[in-house]
Amino acid sequence: MDTQTPKTRSYEHIVRAENLSLSYGKVRALSGIDLAIGKNEIVGLIGDNGAGKSTLIKTLTGVVRPTSGKLYIRDELVDWGSYSVREAHRLRFETVYQEKSLGEKQPLWRNIFVGRQITNRFGFIKVAEERRIANDILKRQLGFRGVGIDADSTISKLSGGERQGIAIGRAMHFDSDLIILDEPTVALAISEVRKVLDFVRSIKTSGRACIYIEHNLAHVHELADRLVVLDRGRIVADIKSGEMTLEQLTKFLIDLQHSGHAVGPA
Amino acid sequence: MSTHLSSKTPEVRAPGLLPRLARVEGLPIILVFVILVVFFMIAAPQVFLGWPIYLSFLTTVPPMLVLAIGLTLVVAAGEIDLSFPSTLAFAGYLFSVCETQLGSPWLGLVAALAGGALIGLVNGTLVAVVGVPSIIVTIGTQFFWAGAASILSGGQSDALQELDGTAIYNIFAGNLFGVLPMQALWALAIAVFMWFILNRHRFGEHVLFIGDSRTVARVAGVNVVLETIKLFTLMGVLGGFAAVLLTIENLNYFSTQGQGYLLPALAGVFIGGTSVFGGTATIVGTFFGTFIIGMLEAGVVATGIAGFWVQAIEGIVFVAAVVLHLVVESPAKLRALSGIVGLRREQ
Amino acid sequence: MTKTKLLATAGLLALGWTAAAQATQPTTSGPLGAGMTMYMQMGGNPGDGATLARQTGAADAAHAFGIKVIEQFSAWNPETMLDQFRQAMAARPTCIGITGHPGDAAFDPLIAQAEKEGTLVTVGNTPLPVAEATYGAKGTGYAGVDLYIGGEITAQAMLAAGLKSGDEALEYGVFNETTRSQSDRGLRDTLVKAGVKVTELNISPQVDSDSSLAVPILVAFLESHPHLKGIGTQHGGVTGFIPQALRQVGKQPGQIIVGGIDLAPSTIAGLQQKYITATLDQQLYLQGFLPVTQCVLSARYHFAGLNINTGAGVETPSTIDSLIPLIKRGIR
Repeated sequence: MDTQTPKTRSYEHIVRAENLSLSYGKVRALSGIDLAIGKNEIVGLIGDNGAGKSTLIKTLTGVVRPTSGKLYIRDELVDWGSYSVREAHRLRFETVYQEKSLGEKQPLWRNIFVGRQITNRFGFIKVAEERRIANDILKRQLGFRGVGIDADSTISKLSGGERQGIAIGRAMHFDSDLIILDEPTVALAISEVRKVLDFVRSIKTSGRACIYIEHNLAHVHELADRLVVLDRGRIVADIKSGEMTLEQLTKFLIDLQHSGHAVGPA
Repeated sequence: MSTHLSSKTPEVRAPGLLPRLARVEGLPIILVFVILVVFFMIAAPQVFLGWPIYLSFLTTVPPMLVLAIGLTLVVAAGEIDLSFPSTLAFAGYLFSVCETQLGSPWLGLVAALAGGALIGLVNGTLVAVVGVPSIIVTIGTQFFWAGAASILSGGQSDALQELDGTAIYNIFAGNLFGVLPMQALWALAIAVFMWFILNRHRFGEHVLFIGDSRTVARVAGVNVVLETIKLFTLMGVLGGFAAVLLTIENLNYFSTQGQGYLLPALAGVFIGGTSVFGGTATIVGTFFGTFIIGMLEAGVVATGIAGFWVQAIEGIVFVAAVVLHLVVESPAKLRALSGIVGLRREQ
Repeated sequence: MTKTKLLATAGLLALGWTAAAQATQPTTSGPLGAGMTMYMQMGGNPGDGATLARQTGAADAAHAFGIKVIEQFSAWNPETMLDQFRQAMAARPTCIGITGHPGDAAFDPLIAQAEKEGTLVTVGNTPLPVAEATYGAKGTGYAGVDLYIGGEITAQAMLAAGLKSGDEALEYGVFNETTRSQSDRGLRDTLVKAGVKVTELNISPQVDSDSSLAVPILVAFLESHPHLKGIGTQHGGVTGFIPQALRQVGKQPGQIIVGGIDLAPSTIAGLQQKYITATLDQQLYLQGFLPVTQCVLSARYHFAGLNINTGAGVETPSTIDSLIPLIKRGIR
């Protein structure tokens, strides 16, 4: 396990974006994003398709580089030149994507460790160890009860919920301080959705932070400490939990869509 | 903290024989290989029950095998390389020129590997950095490097008879204990080494993930551009080595060498079970698949079937092998098959 | 007569004598082919066994006559040859040199059009009998071996070396191509007529390209035919690999009578080691030199087409040594 980032040093925000912008040619995907996530917050990120939610996540986790702006991780400025997914993992950020987290044709144990394999000096993977830890994760963290899934199972044979479980289990194993969930409940059965929401709650209770992208307003309204609304690359609202009811929130978003602006919380 | 996974209705995974066998790497193609050899032994005992034909295969197939193993990794990454015949010509030329003009075949070996690496580097850069699909890049570079070999060699073939009996000949084309062709041992060593790279090394895992989904690979932190360049360069180096094996064995350099290896090497990969879609690959499969292709024509000739049938038979074997792989790998089709064959226990 | 007059008469006579003894002036002050262009189809790939010497011959002729020769290569593909002919026509050269692989029927309309536009056509390596007959007067000639006859000659050499009636032999050839198979048929027919039992085997496309792939196939055949006495082929690349196959099955030189074609390096070695009994020498250089010559002469002075058989016969272990330096330079 990575021990380079001091967990004990205190900080205010796990991640803070300052005036982030990202343009693809003439298209402005993100404009002037100012966003701070607290140490132990669940922040719901909502907005219509194309609002920029996934793009924002990718800049925070080193997948893409913004055209301008600053990023602070645990209150320390990030050097864009050296920031990457690997670096984000090392800093204990983990993303659980809806579809793109796992290699379908690869076995479970590879999926858990890809990109941060346990290797010897020459780069050869310690397969036995990775398999053991993978089985461990399946048993302890995910309550695997011998239903035919083990470390060698190929992802393509798992259901949507099982796959999310693996991705989440991976995040847990690497002891992430910030877990980002990108539309985790899409295409899941109802019982599986419950599990995911329970998991999000447990992130909070274990003292970590979470950014939670969700289309289903009921879910995110129930769970989030804060709701950040993105529209056309801009943050248009930052609503604290309890400030709006679900109906108010829904109306707010519809107004936003129609008129391009909406009345904030009363 | 823990989250209990609910799963859908537990799947009835009857511990049938067929699914367990399917887990042994390359088993389907190994079976096809064995069946084929047994068939040839029965149909042409005077040829296939003697040593000479097998020793002949062990001399001819290794260059094809080295190429096919490299291709296995390339295909695993979801790419393809059609330029390797020209690597045989170009790298072979470099080897030949070092021997005939500079009198140093060992330098020639280094030059051939370096030449192959150069070809691979160009391919990899065009594919990964510029973003041209690999099939297009490698069709283009195939023409270019074949042309380069032609121009540089003036189109002349080079006789390298003087290498016969020298150290480099004995190491790469000689016979161990007077019997076992060295190139077969080299090819085997490469096969074993590349198996470990593909299945047990970080690089191999990256290749598999890139072939599975470039997006997943990227978000997992794999440097897709760099690994792709490394992949094609590796293929180039293997092509250079195959060129050396071929040229030394023939004691001759032909400026047009390599063209006849394009289809057999590719066929060996796909018959072996590596998926053209990428993400999965089997070196064991390629190993036996290439030997099947390498053996086929000689076997058909030995059994006395008219030579015109050879290509038709190659086609049938190819299609049959590919269909077999699809059936074995899909659980639904597998269940249907084991039901028919009577190996499944009813639940 | 006075002494002065005698001297003057002697001097005048001497002068007249010298004038009469001077050599004939050439018809042109510059090279015969000056200002001419010729597109020449070499047939194969640059530098391969059956092409290199023809390239060298054509280049030497171009240099000697001062004509510009543009080479075309088609990897022996008939369709490519037809396409290249069309391309050449578009350039309106003085002549086009072709090989007859596509056959008279395919070439006829194209040649007719070229002749109409005033471009001369001449043939080398593989014949086009109809074209020769139709346009011979205009300069369409042929410089090559008659393929069938070439096969005959090779077979006769094999028979002369000891292959006799009742013996088993293999003819390994490109039987699936009409034109190229003529040489193999010539070989086969001659052996059959002498009472030899001939089995035909077809050369696959892979082996056609990379002849080293022929070795296991030959080994398989040799092993399955333990009484085999002769192997014949008219494929230059394959000829070179027969010795390797013979060694792999443990045959001694001379145990099998081998007839082949052309003079690839391994074929020369095979001759020297006496594994190869005889190889047909097409004198390929002439198949490059003569069509260019034909072009220049017919274009300038309207000479008719000449049919020249460049096949001198076979090379054997006893005749090969003197040719080696020339072979190394791509001339033979």
